[in-house]
Amino acid sequence: MTRHKVSLEEFHRMVEAGVFPEDLRLELVEGDLVEMSPIGKRHAAKVNRLLALLLPLPQSGKALISPQNPLVVGESELYPDLALLKPRPDFYEERLPEASDALLVVEVADTTLRYDLGTKLPLYAKAGVPEVWVVDLEGGRVLVHRKPQGEAYGEVEALGPGEVLEFMGVEVPVEELL
Amino acid sequence: MIRHRFSVEDFHRMAEAGILSEDDRVELIRGEVVELSPVGKRHMAALKRLMDVLFPLQLERRALLQVQDPLRLSPDTEPQPDLVLLAYREDFYRDRMPEGQDAFLVVEVADTSLNHDLEVKLPLYAQAGVPQVWVVDLVRDRVHVFRNPKGEAYQEARVLEDGELEVLGLKVPVKEVLP
Repeated sequence: MTRHKVSLEEFHRMVEAGVFPEDLRLELVEGDLVEMSPIGKRHAAKVNRLLALLLPLPQSGKALISPQNPLVVGESELYPDLALLKPRPDFYEERLPEASDALLVVEVADTTLRYDLGTKLPLYAKAGVPEVWVVDLEGGRVLVHRKPQGEAYGEVEALGPGEVLEFMGVEVPVEELL
Repeated sequence: MIRHRFSVEDFHRMAEAGILSEDDRVELIRGEVVELSPVGKRHMAALKRLMDVLFPLQLERRALLQVQDPLRLSPDTEPQPDLVLLAYREDFYRDRMPEGQDAFLVVEVADTSLNHDLEVKLPLYAQAGVPQVWVVDLVRDRVHVFRNPKGEAYQEARVLEDGELEVLGLKVPVKEVLP
């Protein structure tokens, strides 16, 4: 039994044709349409906190912050919790941001750690997203991935409370996210 | 990870919007869009034989033959059986999709797809109350006959290498449907 793989183009036409209800949140993961789990308050709060900490970057025009919005990653379309994108005057109205536009992707994982690390991370690596942070709420740490090589990252670092994340000159104390 | 399941309405909307094109041979099985495998010459010949032997029922207006068209079984399942013998309707089903309850008989011709037909599709036909299913096994030259659906299974299952099949009083020698 061969499941029909949905292409990026088919996915967009399905959205336009009104095949999906508005409130359904779907990611396209290598041809499969995957329903996203609802976001709990802890998860939502961490995303908002990180957004507040990274605010100097859009303010200084160094990057755009795109929270829980689509990012085209190869033939997949994912909704990372947060993406920092190269600035564009039109804020990507003309076309959806792609992996090559991303400076940093952040995923907050409460129950989804295996999915984030096992399924999404290889897609980010393959598409060349330069840096991915996975906030592991259960494990109380942030996994920082750099140097994409094939379907993996060449450099992986686990940071815990007391340590500080840094991106484009902005510092983020790890405990703020845990 | 929860895979999204489509309803038959979604499925038709996609076809109407041209998202699933005419050459995408697909069916909807429990909410999933599944690709149909291409059919070979023997498969095609078996179907032509079946049409030939069953055609008297249509001539007598006792049934309508449907070949590789959709049959709606539930809100999320719409396979395209190789052949369906439907209750006769004056309008030839112009205004509504044929459903499981309209079928007297479903026939699947299996070359490489025997397991899929027996394990995935048969329970769906049983659940929809299709009274009789024939699965023509081209590899072993025999026909599986299933009758009396109950729940997701058939209470009567036979494998015929010889002898006769029967539907609506029409007797069909097994040898005549095997190419």
